[in-house]
Amino acid sequence: MNNQSKPSSRRKFLLNAGLGGAGAAAAVVAGRQALTGAAPTVTKEARGYHVSEHVKKYYKTTLV
Amino acid sequence: MEATVSRVDVPRPLPPEEAGRADFYALLAALFHHGPDARLLGTLAIAEPLDGGDPALAAAWSSLCEASAAMDPEAAAAEYESLFVGVGKAKVSIYAGFHGGAGGAQPQRVRLIEDLAALGLAFPAGRTLPEDHYAGLLDTMRVLVAGGAGRGPAGLPQQRAFFETHIAPGIGRFLAAVAEAPESNYYRKVAALAQAFVRIEIESFNLG
Repeated sequence: MNNQSKPSSRRKFLLNAGLGGAGAAAAVVAGRQALTGAAPTVTKEARGYHVSEHVKKYYKTTLV
Repeated sequence: MEATVSRVDVPRPLPPEEAGRADFYALLAALFHHGPDARLLGTLAIAEPLDGGDPALAAAWSSLCEASAAMDPEAAAAEYESLFVGVGKAKVSIYAGFHGGAGGAQPQRVRLIEDLAALGLAFPAGRTLPEDHYAGLLDTMRVLVAGGAGRGPAGLPQQRAFFETHIAPGIGRFLAAVAEAPESNYYRKVAALAQAFVRIEIESFNLG
């Protein structure tokens, strides 16, 4: 019962905060529009940059 | 005759409150990535108020929308540069490692890259911004809430873990620094909106 009531209370809290109401439509429009102009910041992981042991060793040397 | 059944993934629409969260993350990520352009300022300028919701969020939203009506993109870009880029030293560091406290910036960046990889995400090749830029962290939350970048939405425990590990430790100090900087004008409103939204996020994670 507890497990079922928790998500419901979270949902109610978010809706009461105004995140799902009709008034949030403006934020939705602004948010989606903002994304189209922004450079993507994360992408699907590809074989690109990875934290190698070498990189970890370098980061350790920069610690003060 | 043999029937052929294959799996088809049909994305389920997000509940409205989750779509709202994703869009606030998207908006804040964009505003901390660069100064708002004319199109975004224009959209914010004519946006409807958030009636009946969290009073701090609603007030911050109205204030940002009013400021957007009076702001021009050149001034917004100049303020962004002066606050977060600057010549020589930015007035406010926009990197989580600076505000995150214990652990220091470099181990935090290593953990961030590893955590992103575990979520099937990475930074685009050729990206020049350090990994812990708040725009990237907020945009990662947008992807975890709504899906994108080649993956579906993450479960709430994964969203919470990323938020609590990489955003929560330093974002309060970062937003306070933005709000208090003498150079801050338009971005004081952005910081107020972000503070109200982050407070709601923290409270909602505690419920879920």
